[in-house]
Amino acid sequence: MYSDYAYLIVGLPVLAFVLTIFLGWHLPKGGGFFTVLATFAGFILSLGIFNEIYPTNTIVHQSAHWFSSFNVGILIDPLAIVMLLMVTFVCTMIHTYALGYMEGDPGMARYFAEAGLFTAAMLGLVFSDNLLQLFIFWELVGLCSYLLIGFWYRKPSAASAAKKAFLVTRVGDIMFLAGIVLLYTNLARIGLPDGTYLLQFQTIYDNLTMIPPDQLTWIAILLFGGAVGKSGQFPLHVWLPDAMEGPTTVSAMIHAATMVTAGVYLVARMFPLFYAAPNALTVVAYVGGFTALFAATMGIVMFDIKRVLAYSTVSQLGYMMAGLGVGAAVGAASVGVSMFHLIGHSFFKALLFLCAGSVIHAVGTNDMREMGGVFKSMKWTGLTMLAGSLTLAGFPLTTGFFSKDEIIVTAYEHGALGLSWIPYIFAILAALLTAIYTFRLWFLTFDGEPRSDYKKHESPWIMIGPLVVLALFALFMGMPAQENFYDYVGNNFEHYGVDFEALAVVGGHHVEHAHAVHEPFIIKILPIIIGVGGILIAALFYSRWKRFSPDMFTSERDPLRHLLLKRYFQNEIYTMWFAEKVVYGLALVSNIFDLKVIDGTVNKISQLLVGFGSVLRKLQTGIIQNYITAIVLGLTVLLIVIKVAMEVAI
Amino acid sequence: MIPLVLYVLLSSTMFIIGLYGLMTQRNGIKLMMCVEILLNSANINLVAFSAYLPNVNGQVFALFSIALAAAEAGVGFAILITLYRLYGTIELDNINALRW
Repeated sequence: MYSDYAYLIVGLPVLAFVLTIFLGWHLPKGGGFFTVLATFAGFILSLGIFNEIYPTNTIVHQSAHWFSSFNVGILIDPLAIVMLLMVTFVCTMIHTYALGYMEGDPGMARYFAEAGLFTAAMLGLVFSDNLLQLFIFWELVGLCSYLLIGFWYRKPSAASAAKKAFLVTRVGDIMFLAGIVLLYTNLARIGLPDGTYLLQFQTIYDNLTMIPPDQLTWIAILLFGGAVGKSGQFPLHVWLPDAMEGPTTVSAMIHAATMVTAGVYLVARMFPLFYAAPNALTVVAYVGGFTALFAATMGIVMFDIKRVLAYSTVSQLGYMMAGLGVGAAVGAASVGVSMFHLIGHSFFKALLFLCAGSVIHAVGTNDMREMGGVFKSMKWTGLTMLAGSLTLAGFPLTTGFFSKDEIIVTAYEHGALGLSWIPYIFAILAALLTAIYTFRLWFLTFDGEPRSDYKKHESPWIMIGPLVVLALFALFMGMPAQENFYDYVGNNFEHYGVDFEALAVVGGHHVEHAHAVHEPFIIKILPIIIGVGGILIAALFYSRWKRFSPDMFTSERDPLRHLLLKRYFQNEIYTMWFAEKVVYGLALVSNIFDLKVIDGTVNKISQLLVGFGSVLRKLQTGIIQNYITAIVLGLTVLLIVIKVAMEVAI
Repeated sequence: MIPLVLYVLLSSTMFIIGLYGLMTQRNGIKLMMCVEILLNSANINLVAFSAYLPNVNGQVFALFSIALAAAEAGVGFAILITLYRLYGTIELDNINALRW
C-alpha cells in the first residue's frame, strides 16, 4: 500500500523546493519546515515500504514507457530501501538542525529550497530502475552541490570551491556517460527483442554474460570513473575538502547522506557487472584502499576542524570502495559489508559535521588551534561528538567498529585467497590513522585550556536534538542490525536472478568460499587493538594527559611533515601545473585552432558566397527597361521552346 | 465586313509598338503611354474576336480592362507626380535610390 506512493518520496521534497523558493521569503525561518516535513514524510513512507518488502522479501518495481528503448521507473530493492531510509532519516536530522543553524541568514529560503532539491535528487538517484534515469538524477545532485557549496556566493573562496566541485565531478560524469553509452551499444548489439528497456538494471543483469569480457572491463572502469568523481576517490578527491566553503549543514549533507555516497551506491548497484570484470574490481580495490590511506595521512596534520572531517570522509569512502573492490573474494556479500559501512558512516559523519558546526557556531572559527576546552561550555555537543569520534575511530561495539572490521576482514580474505594483500595493508594502516586523527580532533577542540577568547555558550535545542538522535544511532545501531543487514543487502541480487558463478566464469575467476578462510586470532583482534591504540596515541599527544608533543619527533624541516602539510603538493600539481600549464596551454592551442581553422573555414565560405553575390547583383541594374527586355526575351524563348516541343510531340 | 486578320494585324502592330516603347524609353510618362498602348491592343483583340464569334463575353472583358487601365493610369501618374516632387525629374534613369 505504501509502495503505491513511492513516487512521493521524491515528489514531496520537490514540492517543498517549489514552495520554499516561491513562498519562503514571506515565511518564518525561510519556509524551512516544508523541507523538513517533506523529508520526514519521505522517511515515514520509506519505513512503510520497508515494512512491506522486508518480511515478504520482495521488491517494488514500477515502470512507465518513456521513449524508444528507455523507460522511467521506480525500483526499491534491499539496496535501495536501506539507502532511502538512511537518506531520508539523516536529511531530516540535518534539515532540522539547519533550522537553528541557518537562523538569521538572509538566504535562508534559498538554502532550504536547494537543500530540498538536493535531497530529492539523491532519493531519485537511489530508486531509479534504469541507468539513464540514475544518470539524470546524478547530474541533478551535482548541480545542487554546486549551488549549495557556493551558497555564500559573494565569498570568492566559496564561488571558486563550488566551481571546482562542479568541474572535478564533471570529469567523472563524462566517464560515467561514456560508460553508459558503451554499455548501451553492447546491449543493443545482442539483439534483444523490441520493446526491451536496454538500460533497465534487470536487462543489464540478465545480459552480462552476452557482453564480451574486454568490453565489460571498459564499461566497469568508466562507470567507476564516475564514482571516483562523485565519491571523492583519488585522484578526483580534490574538490571534497574545498567543499567546506558552504554552510556546515551542506557539508554534512554532502559528506554523509546525499552526494558522496552516490558513487559507492553506483558501484554497489552495478556490482554484478564489476564482478564479471575482475580487473576493474581490482582497480576499485586498489583505488579505494589507496584513497583510504592517502586521505587519512592528510587528516592527521590539518588544523581546520572541517577539513579534518573532510579528509576523514574521503578516507572512509575509500574504505567503502575497497570493501566493494575486494568482492572478488567473497562475491555479493561485499555489497552488504560496504553498504553497512556507508549507512553507519552517514550517521556518524553527519553527526560529526553537525557537532563541528555547533562548535563553529559558538566559537566563531574553524581553526582548532584557537579552540581548546570547549567541553566546559558545550557539554552536549562535546558528548555527542565523542560518540561520533568513538564510532569513527572504530571503538569496540560501536557501529563503526563492526562495519570497518567487516571490511578489514573481507580485505584479509581477499589477501588470504591469494589475490592481493595490498587492500588489507592499506585498510589496516588507514584504520590506525583514522583513530589518531579523530581523537586529535576531539582533544584539540574539547580538551585542555581555551587557547583564545571565544564566546562560551551551548547551541539551541533545535540543534542539539538531532545531534543526540544521531549519536544514539551512531553508537548503537551496529550491533543489533549488522547480521540481518549483511544477509538482506548482500542477497540483493538474488531478486534479479543474478548467477554469480556464471559471471565469475565470464570474468575468468572462481567463486571462492571465503568463509572457509581461517583467520588467526591476531587478525581478529587487530582492528580492536588498532582502534583503541590510535585513541591512546592521540591522547598521549594532544589531551590534558599528554606526555609527548609532535615536535619531539619531527621538526619544521622534516620533509615528510612538509609534504603532509602541503597536502602532497596537490594544489601545486592540480592547480599550478595541471590547470595553469597543461589545461591552459591546451586551451590556448584550442583557441588558435578555433580561430584559424574552424572560424577560418566558416569565414572563407561566407566570403566566397559574398563575392559570388556581388558579381550576380550586377544583373540587377534597377533599370526597368532592362527587365522588360529580359522578360520579353524570356517569353519569346519560352514560346519557341513550347512550339518546338509540341511539334516534336505530335 | 472587315476581315478578322486585319484587326489582329492592327492589334499586334500596336502591341509591338508598345513593347518597343517600353524597352527603349526612359521617360515615365512615355512608359505609361506605352503600357496603355499594350492594354488597348489587347482590348482591340478582345472586341474583334467578340464581334467575330459572336460572343459578348469579349466585350465585357474589354470594358473591365478599360476600367482597370484607368485605375492603373491613376495610380501610375500619382506615383510619377510624387517622384517629380521628390527628385524634380521623371527620367527613370535618375531614380535609383533602391538600387545597389
